[in-house]
Amino acid sequence: MTTAARPGFNPGIPPVKNMQGPPTPLSVLGPQAEAERQRIRQQFEAGTSARETLRALCELADRNVQRVFGELLHVHESTPQGLALLALGGYGRQMLFPYSDLDILFLFGSEKAEQESRRLIAEFSRTLWDLGFRVSSAGRTLEECKRIEEDNAEFHLALLDRRFLAGDAALYDKLDTKLLPASEKQARGFLLAELHRLTKERLTRYGNTIFHLEPNVKESPGGMRDYQATVWLRQIVEEKKESRKITAAEEELSAAAVDFLGAIRCFLHYKNGRNDNTLTYELQAAAAERALGVGDGLARTPAEWMRLYFRQARTLNRQLLRYLEQKAPVPLTLRQRLFHAARAAKLEADHGKYCMEREGLLEVLDPPALADRAITFSLFGEAARTGTPLSREAERSIGYILTHPELRARNTEMSWATLREILGSDFPGVALRPMQRLGLLTETLPEFGMIDSLVVRDFYHRYTVDEHTLRTIEHLQELADPPDARGAHFAPLWKTVDRRDLLILSLLLHDVGKGMPIENHVTGSLTALGSAARRLKLSPEEEAEVRFLIEHHLDMSATIQRRDIFDPATVSVFAESVGTQERLQRLCLLTYADIHSVNPEALTPWKAEMLWQLFVATSNHFSRTLDRDRLHAPDEVPMLERVKALAGEATLEEIERFLEGFPRRYLAVHSAAEIAAHFALYQKLGAEPVQTELIVTRHAFSLTLLTADRPALFATISGVLAGWGMNIIKADAFANAAGVVLDTFHFADLHRTLELNPGEIERFRKSLADVVNGKAALEPLLKGREKASRARTPKVAVETRITFDDSSSAHSTLMEIVTQDHPGLLYEIGSALARLGCNIEVALIDTEGQKAIDVFYLTAQGKKLSPQKQELLREVLQGTLS
Amino acid sequence: MMKLEAIIQPSRFESVKDALREIGIEGMTVTEVRGHGRQKGHTEVYRGREYTVDLLPKMKLEMVLPDALVSRVVDTILKTAKTGKIGDGKIFLSRVEEAIRIRNEERGENAL
Repeated sequence: MTTAARPGFNPGIPPVKNMQGPPTPLSVLGPQAEAERQRIRQQFEAGTSARETLRALCELADRNVQRVFGELLHVHESTPQGLALLALGGYGRQMLFPYSDLDILFLFGSEKAEQESRRLIAEFSRTLWDLGFRVSSAGRTLEECKRIEEDNAEFHLALLDRRFLAGDAALYDKLDTKLLPASEKQARGFLLAELHRLTKERLTRYGNTIFHLEPNVKESPGGMRDYQATVWLRQIVEEKKESRKITAAEEELSAAAVDFLGAIRCFLHYKNGRNDNTLTYELQAAAAERALGVGDGLARTPAEWMRLYFRQARTLNRQLLRYLEQKAPVPLTLRQRLFHAARAAKLEADHGKYCMEREGLLEVLDPPALADRAITFSLFGEAARTGTPLSREAERSIGYILTHPELRARNTEMSWATLREILGSDFPGVALRPMQRLGLLTETLPEFGMIDSLVVRDFYHRYTVDEHTLRTIEHLQELADPPDARGAHFAPLWKTVDRRDLLILSLLLHDVGKGMPIENHVTGSLTALGSAARRLKLSPEEEAEVRFLIEHHLDMSATIQRRDIFDPATVSVFAESVGTQERLQRLCLLTYADIHSVNPEALTPWKAEMLWQLFVATSNHFSRTLDRDRLHAPDEVPMLERVKALAGEATLEEIERFLEGFPRRYLAVHSAAEIAAHFALYQKLGAEPVQTELIVTRHAFSLTLLTADRPALFATISGVLAGWGMNIIKADAFANAAGVVLDTFHFADLHRTLELNPGEIERFRKSLADVVNGKAALEPLLKGREKASRARTPKVAVETRITFDDSSSAHSTLMEIVTQDHPGLLYEIGSALARLGCNIEVALIDTEGQKAIDVFYLTAQGKKLSPQKQELLREVLQGTLS
Repeated sequence: MMKLEAIIQPSRFESVKDALREIGIEGMTVTEVRGHGRQKGHTEVYRGREYTVDLLPKMKLEMVLPDALVSRVVDTILKTAKTGKIGDGKIFLSRVEEAIRIRNEERGENAL
């Protein structure tokens, strides 16, 4: 194993032979070395490349090391027999930066040689120190070098870069050609595992991203250490798999990146006067001004120049990750293998043609098929759905197709339907991250390009704007299994949030305005939304929702910091600006993710708790004030006009009559098109007293039913759904001033009856209408179904809790029931309410896993429930549900 | 020199900070804290689960001041942090023996 043929830097400095003669006084050597250092610095500042600078620095160090060593041998009347000096680490690979240490190994032929050399070595180190070289030395006998020091992997890795400096050349030769190749071969597994561990620890320390606002060009991901780790990986694992060899083009890219970063690191050392590799804002400006590393001498803005930096850093980081993942994998544990096998089973069979899961990564089986972009998009869809990342090799295959237009890619445009499939999945970040790396995110959403690698200077954010944005999405998907207590409250919100796709799109666009030359970035982000919405053909309602989230993305944050969130007036004002529970949920998640992604410490447990308190207070405000705010239709002119435009021949008065008296929530949760459809059903009530509409949504069915109010209506509908084996996930029940009831049920088809037998849909609707109209009995439907569903043991036990609230509504008593969800639950509750003469004014039904959370606004004979009635109701329901 | 510790409502923090800046106070240490005095917490129910907020969120400001500035700063905080409700917080003052600037080892009020 040798370090000679390494890409990037290979100055090839010949070792200087030991010198003889009288010792040169320090008073001569010191100024000489210093003058030489100054000359090298001046040449660098005049434009000499980093490559030349490092070579010159290395030669300077070599000359002084060899001279001092040679002269000390002479003074001590000693010979180099049994003692050799080796350069290790950066010095060994001839990449010596201005203020880097000289890593030197004293290699002894025997313990005796070690004893005899002690004084000489001490004097040698002292002299070099006095000459301005920071020596970091270690001593080993030949025997010791054979042994693997398990707690000192860094030493063995540094030894991979060994280079003979001075002394006993035969001794070095023995080490280099005989001993080490054998022991390194033996220790290959250990070195690999340790290099993986050290690298992962380092990358984690820097948040696993290259996109730091003030990166460390040595240690951060994408820094010089990435390059070195890649070289070590290549050295440790001999490349036998020809197909995975690095290409000449990649080699060239990597060399350019090393030159660029090398120049920056030299620059930083000189500017800081020490081994400090942090590219601060101030030094970014200075580097951009002199077009450092670019070579054309044209001054750039710091933001432009940093983009060039990130491009180079990305090259080095990508190469390292590919090597870590594919070239030198550490054997997986049995547990990891079993886990990956279970995950692989989740992949759908039809995707098997183009991809497969291997050790937790998606691999492309048929790279040429990727020319059909629809297949590429489906790969990302698969990644987002299952949370299985694409392998670096798969990314490389996609990248190859993207950069070779002669392969004539097909279906290159990503539709909103495809994009929303990705955004609405459980793991959108798993797809969006590689899409961004490959440029596909910018291709789909060109607005995102405005924040690509964008550094916006402040002392609060830690990452570039695009990195911050992608982190927001990753923090949300982590809520599937929150990594710490801060996310615990928000996890159920993520799991149950409605229109997740719109939330993620809002996050992608919320800071895009930061890339525009305007003062208020939110205005810019909204402009970007306008163009994205037109191109993606978002519906007006979808665009309005994203617009709201972007426009108000700082509101919750501002409210928790600047308002008294325990003051009901604050909650009321905030709730009014948000409008609905669904929107609140999205805004809360967006705020959680946005704060969390500023820097690792930004979301303190204190802030997370404040955010949660505001969410809870506002959510409760919504459910407690639902019937307080009823629609007075003539005041809703814009909405009336939109509905009228969609409602054909209908007059405004007819539409007003339909809308009059519905809770305001009705307008907030339904689009104009949906209201127009409801109105169309309403108009047909004269011909048929029960009107239904059944829509298949992505994961469930949505049933809308309009009819005149009647006793036990809600219980009857719930009963029919239970009888057909449908599990109600969510429901709203509203009534207008004329007593027309509009109920909406979202339900899961537990036995896939309607899904597998489309003919059954009509029979289901007829059955529903017949039971509601009293033409058919409910009991036969329910028979048998109850037994089957009751037999199942719930996975989580939910204690039944019933609370009444008389103060929140002027007209009704609120009853909140939290209980174990099971098919037929709503029927049981509705029947109990009907038996006790309770009328449901408004109902909000929701489920969270196996927990049902139902809120009813109840009256009895037009009044709130008496305390006695409440007690009786509690008793009956506790008995029924327990 | 006096050390001033003020526990205030989070919602008043920005106003207090701005008012202090106006009278020339730039340096302070701020901590997000939780606690309660006479203002007890409350219980909120969300989806059938009770959340007891018995330690309420507050902001703690700490600063060491030259004697001449103390009363002005106290007045400013009183004026801007007060809402008149229970839970507005408290100010504590204590004597400081010495202050040393680490960078240049200046001592006393010069180090503030």
